[in-house]
Amino acid sequence: MGVFCTIVPPHVLDALARSGDATLSAYARRTLEHDARERTRRRLTTVIGPTLAAARPTGVPAAGPSDGPRRTIHDAAHLDTLPGTTVREEGAKPSKDGSVNRAYDGLGATFETYLKAYGRHSVDGKGLPLVASVHYLKDYNNAFWNGEQMVFGDGDGRIFLDFTLPVDVIGHELTHGVTQYSANLDYFGQSGALNESVSDVFGSLIKQYSLGQTAEQADWLIGAGLLAPGVHGEALRSMKAPGTAYDDPNLGKDPQPGSMSGYVSTSEDNGGVHLNSGIPNRAFYLAAAAIGGHAWEQAGQIWYDTLTGGSLSTRAQFADFAAATVAAATARYGEGDQSRAVASAWQQVGVTPAPGSAVPRQQPGEQTQEA
Amino acid sequence: MRIEVVRSGGFSGIPAHAALDTAGRPDAGHLHALAEAALAPGPPQAPTPDGYSYDITVDARTVHCADPQLTHPQRELIRLLLDEGA
Repeated sequence: MGVFCTIVPPHVLDALARSGDATLSAYARRTLEHDARERTRRRLTTVIGPTLAAARPTGVPAAGPSDGPRRTIHDAAHLDTLPGTTVREEGAKPSKDGSVNRAYDGLGATFETYLKAYGRHSVDGKGLPLVASVHYLKDYNNAFWNGEQMVFGDGDGRIFLDFTLPVDVIGHELTHGVTQYSANLDYFGQSGALNESVSDVFGSLIKQYSLGQTAEQADWLIGAGLLAPGVHGEALRSMKAPGTAYDDPNLGKDPQPGSMSGYVSTSEDNGGVHLNSGIPNRAFYLAAAAIGGHAWEQAGQIWYDTLTGGSLSTRAQFADFAAATVAAATARYGEGDQSRAVASAWQQVGVTPAPGSAVPRQQPGEQTQEA
Repeated sequence: MRIEVVRSGGFSGIPAHAALDTAGRPDAGHLHALAEAALAPGPPQAPTPDGYSYDITVDARTVHCADPQLTHPQRELIRLLLDEGA
């Protein structure tokens, strides 16, 4: 029929992007996206105000947000209209549709982890209702956060299965919401890779919390169980060993770098946000493994303080984020094993914390209650 | 007419690429109309975390678009070329 369809490795796409009009189109695209991003940021600032991650002391007053989630699951019925028909609301009995129930349960697991581990009420810290749509389009190989809700495709069954299957995927998408309402990291370049990495970190921590795993027991994989039978791979990303999650004739080899020596400069995927996230992902793993125990408790708390503490610029680079994590570790636990583990983790992935770039605006001890 | 779709981004970050030449195809007329319509840009939007981005190139003209705000012709053309429920 004259149609050829392949999934090609990034370096081939880079060559394409460099050819002909692609450069011009990329420039125009950046301009458009930058303008739209600015509008979004202005709107968000008016919504959430200058004080990010509002302090909520231990002993939440009666007027505070509920300690239970408010979930609504919709069925997009294979169309692209969002959110679709309401199929399960908070407290309703399970549906006959497994995708609906997995989305409902995954939203609940995410809500619970943020609440119990970090004292955060939903993605905005103020009890925002959680909305998800399943069965988006037909055989759709993706899940995303559209700024207001989560969207799940069914997968095509050849490469990907249903995107509601791994709880870390659900946690990943909702964490994009948490980031939007806190550090609001620009979805481009290094700040975009940090945005992606934070979603992988908390997506994995939500899975670990649900399973009660220690850092040593966890698989540190993102998207385990999502690849269809026959695909050569165990997941989409490995935080412990970036670049090793899959190696398949159709998909190619996992291209993620695990240190700055492999940093990828590209115009695709908003500057390689899903590639270079491997670097801060591995830094988190190394810090969590060195600290030991349940990763959501101390390593996760340090990353959470960094994300919500208000010291990060929306355009934070790896070095800024690294400095902020060391400062957050020191602010919460003092100079000691934790801050040394975090500093060492960044050193091992080739990131040198930026000097003088991270002074917490709040005392982290004021932000959250201990679980 | 040569039509090409390059996809990037998405939760997986795995790119995809497909192209076709309409010469000699029985549905060439439909494809020409669809491709022309797809070149009309949709509204500008901020990047959607984990959303797919697409570059659609029709001969020498390229339009960039991204989920979830594709126009219907863009959605149909992408689905036709990538054959995977775009």
